[in-house]
Amino acid sequence: MFTNKSIDSVWIQLMLLTLLSAFIAETADTGLAVIIIVAVTIGYKGRMIVDHFMELIHANRYIRASMRLYFYVIPLMIVLAYLFPEAIVRMTTLR
Amino acid sequence: MDAAITADSAQMGRNTGSQTLSAQHHVPGGWPIWVGIFSEMTEFAMMFIIYFIAKAHYPELFNEGPTKLNTLAGVLNTLVLLTSSYCVAKSMQAIRRDDTTACVRWLWLAIIAGAAYLLIKTWEYHWNETMGISKDTNTFFTVYYYTTFNHMLHVGWGSAAVLWAIFGVKRGSFTAQSHGGLEAVAVYWHMIDLAWIVIFPLLYVLR
Repeated sequence: MFTNKSIDSVWIQLMLLTLLSAFIAETADTGLAVIIIVAVTIGYKGRMIVDHFMELIHANRYIRASMRLYFYVIPLMIVLAYLFPEAIVRMTTLR
Repeated sequence: MDAAITADSAQMGRNTGSQTLSAQHHVPGGWPIWVGIFSEMTEFAMMFIIYFIAKAHYPELFNEGPTKLNTLAGVLNTLVLLTSSYCVAKSMQAIRRDDTTACVRWLWLAIIAGAAYLLIKTWEYHWNETMGISKDTNTFFTVYYYTTFNHMLHVGWGSAAVLWAIFGVKRGSFTAQSHGGLEAVAVYWHMIDLAWIVIFPLLYVLR
C-alpha cells in the first residue's frame, strides 16, 4: 500500500480524496462514520505527501517516523475530540 | 572470466547496499531545515489543539461556522496547494536528471499555484466580509482567521523561497550532484501543504 508509487498517481489520488471531502462537506451530516472517514483521509493524504512528495520513504528513519506519527496522532485527536468533548471541557475549565 | 564477473557482481552488490544504507541516513535538505519544519509543525499542532478545545466549549458555533464558509474556496485552495507540491516534487526529479530547464519550469508552475492560493484566499476573505463575517463574529471565526491567515503567511514566504530556488537553478547553484538547498525549499513547501491537509477538513468539512 505504501510502497514506491509514481508521484503522478499520488497527485491524482490526493486530488480525488479532496473532492471526496468536498462532497462530504456539502452533503453529509457529521456523525461518527463521517468523522472516521475524514480522519482516515487526513492520515492517508499526510502519509502520501510525507512518503512520496517529501521522499521520506527511504530517508532518515527518525524524521520519517516523526512525520508519519504526526499523521497518526492528529486523526486520532479528531476522533477523540468528537467522542469525548465533555472530557476536554472538564480538562480545560478553570475552577 | 567467471571469477571476474562474480567479483564485479559482489562489488555492485556492496555498492547497492551502501547506497541504500546511505539513503536511509539521508536527511532531505539537511538538519537545519528540519528544525524549522518541526517547529512549524508544532506551531500548527498548537492551533489544532486550540481548535479542539474551542470546539468542545462552543459546539454550536463550530457546527454552524463551516456552513457559513465558502467551501468552494477551501476546495480550490486544497487543489492548488496539492498541485504546487506535485510541481515541486517533479522539479526535484528534474534536477536529479540535471534537466535544469524542466526543473525551472516545474518551480514556476509551483509559484503560479502558490499565487493562485493567495488570490483565492484573498477573494475568500473579501467574500466573508460581504457576508458580514469577521474575526470578531464568534470564537469559530476567530480560530478560522488566526489559523488560515497564519497559514497564508507561510504560503507567501514559501513562494518567495521557491522563487529564490529558481534563481539558484538558473545561476547553476543546484546540479544533479549538489542540490541540498533546493531540497530544503522543497521539503519546507511540502510542510506548508501538510498543514493545509489538516486545516481544510477541520474548518470547512467537520460540523
